[in-house]
Amino acid sequence: MELDPKTMRTTKPGIKPVILTLIVPFSFILGFPLLWKSVEIYRSPLPFCGIEAFSSQLDSKPLHFRCQFQAMFLGFNFTASNDVAEAIINKMSLLNPNSSQCGNCGAYEVSVVIDSGTSCMRTENSKAQCPFKCGEEVAFFGGKLSDENVDELLRGCLGNVDGGGNVYSVVVVNGGDKEAEVRAVVGKYRHAWILGGVLEEKALSRVAEIFAKVFMNGRSEGDSIRAKFMPVGADGRIVLSFSLLNAEPRDWIYDWNFREIDEILLQPVIQSLQPIANITVESQVLYHTQKSSFSYWDEVLGSHISSTKDLPFFVDSNEWHLDTSVAAGGRSKVLQLLVYIPSAKECPLQLELPNGDLSNTNGFISRVIHLAFKFSLLNMWGGGVVWNPQSCIKDLESKDPPRHMISTQVFLSLMNCHCLVTRQLNEVSVFHRDSHNVWELDVLSQNHVCLNLYSLFGVSFLKFNSMQVQSLPRMIITDEIGKQVIVNAYWMIFWLETVVYLQVMISLEAAKFAQSNASAGIYDASAVSSRQARALAEDSFFHPSVMSISYYSYWHSVSIYAPYFLLVIKPVILPVLSEWKRYKQENMKFVAWKAKAKVT
Amino acid sequence: MALLSRKGTLFLLFLFSIFLLSASASNGSGEEEEEFWEELLLKPLPDRKVLSHFHFQNEAPLSDSFARHHHLFPKSIAQLVKKFHIKAMELSFTQGRWNYERWGGFDPISSHNAKPPGVELWAVFDVPPHQVDASWKDLTHALSGLFCASINFLESSTTYSAPKWTFQSALGSLRYGTLPREAVCTENLTPWLKLLPCRDKAGLSALMDRPSIYKSFYHSQRLHLTQAKTGANPKNSRVVLEQTLTVVLQPNILTGGTNYVSEAKMQPSWSLSSIFGRKINGRCVLAKSSNVYLQVERGLVTQLENLQSSTATFAANGTNLDDFGRNVGFELSVNPDRVLKEVEKSSSILYEYPIKVHKDSEQFDLGITWKHPVIWSTPHVPLYASRFLMGSGNERGAIAICMKSTESTQELVAANYVDQRCNFQVNVLQIVPWYIKVYYHTLQLFVDEKPQILTDFVERMHVSPSEDKVSPGLMELVLKLPCEVKSAVLNIEFDKGFLHIDEYPPDANQGFDIPSAIISFPDFNAGLQFSDNSLSKTPMLSKLQERSPVISYTEVLLVPLTTPDFSMPYNVITITCTVFALYFGSLLNALRRRVGEEERRLNDKGGKKDALLNRVLGKLSSKFRGRSSVSSQPSSSSSSSLISPKLILRVLLVAGIAVAWQYYS
Repeated sequence: MELDPKTMRTTKPGIKPVILTLIVPFSFILGFPLLWKSVEIYRSPLPFCGIEAFSSQLDSKPLHFRCQFQAMFLGFNFTASNDVAEAIINKMSLLNPNSSQCGNCGAYEVSVVIDSGTSCMRTENSKAQCPFKCGEEVAFFGGKLSDENVDELLRGCLGNVDGGGNVYSVVVVNGGDKEAEVRAVVGKYRHAWILGGVLEEKALSRVAEIFAKVFMNGRSEGDSIRAKFMPVGADGRIVLSFSLLNAEPRDWIYDWNFREIDEILLQPVIQSLQPIANITVESQVLYHTQKSSFSYWDEVLGSHISSTKDLPFFVDSNEWHLDTSVAAGGRSKVLQLLVYIPSAKECPLQLELPNGDLSNTNGFISRVIHLAFKFSLLNMWGGGVVWNPQSCIKDLESKDPPRHMISTQVFLSLMNCHCLVTRQLNEVSVFHRDSHNVWELDVLSQNHVCLNLYSLFGVSFLKFNSMQVQSLPRMIITDEIGKQVIVNAYWMIFWLETVVYLQVMISLEAAKFAQSNASAGIYDASAVSSRQARALAEDSFFHPSVMSISYYSYWHSVSIYAPYFLLVIKPVILPVLSEWKRYKQENMKFVAWKAKAKVT
Repeated sequence: MALLSRKGTLFLLFLFSIFLLSASASNGSGEEEEEFWEELLLKPLPDRKVLSHFHFQNEAPLSDSFARHHHLFPKSIAQLVKKFHIKAMELSFTQGRWNYERWGGFDPISSHNAKPPGVELWAVFDVPPHQVDASWKDLTHALSGLFCASINFLESSTTYSAPKWTFQSALGSLRYGTLPREAVCTENLTPWLKLLPCRDKAGLSALMDRPSIYKSFYHSQRLHLTQAKTGANPKNSRVVLEQTLTVVLQPNILTGGTNYVSEAKMQPSWSLSSIFGRKINGRCVLAKSSNVYLQVERGLVTQLENLQSSTATFAANGTNLDDFGRNVGFELSVNPDRVLKEVEKSSSILYEYPIKVHKDSEQFDLGITWKHPVIWSTPHVPLYASRFLMGSGNERGAIAICMKSTESTQELVAANYVDQRCNFQVNVLQIVPWYIKVYYHTLQLFVDEKPQILTDFVERMHVSPSEDKVSPGLMELVLKLPCEVKSAVLNIEFDKGFLHIDEYPPDANQGFDIPSAIISFPDFNAGLQFSDNSLSKTPMLSKLQERSPVISYTEVLLVPLTTPDFSMPYNVITITCTVFALYFGSLLNALRRRVGEEERRLNDKGGKKDALLNRVLGKLSSKFRGRSSVSSQPSSSSSSSLISPKLILRVLLVAGIAVAWQYYS
């Protein structure tokens, strides 16, 4: 038998070289998990489940406040008080179909007291005395006493002190005279009264109307809270920064005594808004602040006209240093409110609305400018007013420019414009007419709690934060916030700062606290704690360490280890392949020889 | 719900009451107001340069509404003061080095405004001792944002220290730090100007032409904050913010009608418009006063007086320097409103020009035209201090501070203490970063080039040794030197430390800066004394007359440190990988070589027996060509068949892996 050494061999090819060459890459593969483990980043366990659960719970079961309403009918003859309560609830649900929204009185109960003078009936849940002791006084004095006195009188009787029993009451006094004018007054506190000759059915619908529209909704036609603009900072602080801008101090200099304005006008409002927002007021006077937009002279109107379309150029952010103050450090929001005094050259200056009319207030509010500044750095705008001096003629004779003071009165008229602005501050009227009513504040607080919780869990921060963390599997999370970690110093030195753990935990606790309080009906406390929760959640999100690089990306690690593996992989893998190929060839030769041997 | 009818009337009542209240309150408000001054001092320097010193002062009462409602005082600074409880603070941005020899060191301007290059910051806090560091850190961050500079680097405890005696208002809550390498430019000046009520829109600050300032030989912008008590009641105290900009400029030479003296020896004639390229267009209307001063130095006055007496024969009615500067030496383009003269015999003169309200037709352009060449010298610091490094290599070295006497010390000897032995005090503050490990026991003092026992001259000493990566080393010495001293040299040795790889700044091979040492002379008073005390004092005049010790700074030292090879980690990676690759490559090659041997044995057995020569040749050629003779056969035989299906398969496999990787990762 002839043996062709090129195609045949007589011995079986050895498997040993293949095994030997295989051992090396195999040991590499075995060692790989070890290496992977050694370069793994540390992630502190975060309560993702808790956040998710809370968020979905909040979505499926919106936060509701338990409201208690009380209707008192004096001089009426209803047959059964329970039916009356039922009727009021029915009418209320018709008037306020959106009660399932967050922040509304989702679960409310209505208690009724009917005092006909001879007999007194009340529902079981009613807390008021029966017979109602002030009823006669209210009925008697109703026409004579001022509304404020009646308000105080009722406050004394119903015992609705701030923060105490949060029962909203409406007292309906049947005046007896059917032709008498019917007056409904909503007081400063949590009650209203209706005086005059009212029919029973009408009285019921009036009461339901007051409950549903005023006490539950704060008189605003309710759109969703989420769509509303809330300029309260993450830490629950707003800085109202008033600036008086003298365009050209060489013509005239205007000054104000803002300290007085602050103390007399603003402080009472700020005090009452304390649970919702921590408002501070600042003021400054700036000079040489020419507007940077152009105005044109209108002969007919006899004034310079500046179009509101040019508002983005009106504010010259380069020269008007309406600085965000140090006091508003962190994420407090600053509302800039401006009073602009034009120079003699452009006096009087009027603002023209987009429809061609002149602005009544001669001012602009934040919405316009907010849109205009959407892409600029100045994102927090209250508004501005142009205030023209009474005489626009510059005194050329005098050595020094004349100095004027803007009196509190003038300021107040200017504030009328700003009120438009500040009303947005908290949906309902904050600087509302003459006062800040307790019931208005209740609605504000409720909505605020809701918004805080939603911005917390519903849409934004905490959930987003946890999603973010989860979506970045290689983001490093240490137990201690702000601790700098140096990872993998051999290859590359990283400053990896982080995050979150403690703050997330704390804000979660605070949020739970808010919910339990809301059900109990303590609005102020829940507003405060929801504010805290939101602040804490945002804290974790805005923590400076999160801003800096804290993400050791997958490709980053690949690029670090690639040189090592690429260099080694060639001498390790190639021999295996070629050895395997050779083994197969040799084996083929052996098989060929064997076949030939069989044949022969 | 149209039943809320009476609210309108209530509202009117409310308005009315507010109006009444405000009217009554405004009657009673006669409280102190915020005030602002602006001033400019110009001074010809002996080396044909001009010093221009802008001084802006802003004062606000420290009332309840401080940091909330302001009219002139910058709100941002007021809020800093309130938030961080700052008692006093000074921040300076400097570019260039003050030339103590030529520009003087014994006058209030140089003593207050000659600053070390880069950023210098010190602050005194009104907080309990344990909170001082935290306040300092917050302050550095706030200032960093406010002035667009990297002041936040002073936050690290390795960069600041707490000197005891150099700054008078210390009392434990002072912190001091410098950044010698900070570059100063317009981005620092603009926020500084924003603190002024008129910014650079009107008044003296409108002169600040950026190119002129930044091509100057020296410019230092300073912000000094103090609390001044106006009465016994602590509530009456005021916060005083001084903003100064000191610029030393080379004026463009104006060709005057000076035919009889060569131009080279003459001082260059200049005017505001030739220095800054601008004229003053009227004052800032918000300033309480707006003045320009021209200072003629003591040395120059003496020289001019000498010149005057020598030429008195020619000029019959001997003119006086007081006579609006119409003298032999120079001529002023504008007549001053007031001339202030120092009390002493040979004394400096100050011409005052109040700036008026803006008029389109009038522009203020003060100029000086030299008529005669004058050479004079400025008053020098008592001891001219310079600092240098000794030793070579990357291991150790020594810092020497050399102080040489000048004519001021000699005058001191001559003037006061002829008989008795006289001494004067010198305070030395030296701060070194931790990586310069100073051995304080090696401190040596040479007085008049002779080694001296330290205790003979050192009155007090405060040393806080550096701690690695925690705090810098600080040495404060209070020396008592004899008046007749010629030179004094302080010498101290150090070892150079090692930094961690990530502690090196970019461009580490440039070297490391050691901040300037501060040499102060508490026994010498830099203030001037003007005769005209009866007239109103502007902040500039009171600043010039303030009794303050003479302070001078030494140069910044550049110490080269051992720097690692920053590419080392990558070298390690590549070397390790190469070694691994070689190891595995040769190992596996060796393992696989047996197959070849086996084959050759087979060949030997089966094939014909070659001649020895052929075998050797074959061996050689196989060595040269490697295994090609062996392995080429199967590969070449199979190559044609392999190309199409297998190669495509492989390419597809690789692509598949890539896609899978992309999809799953």
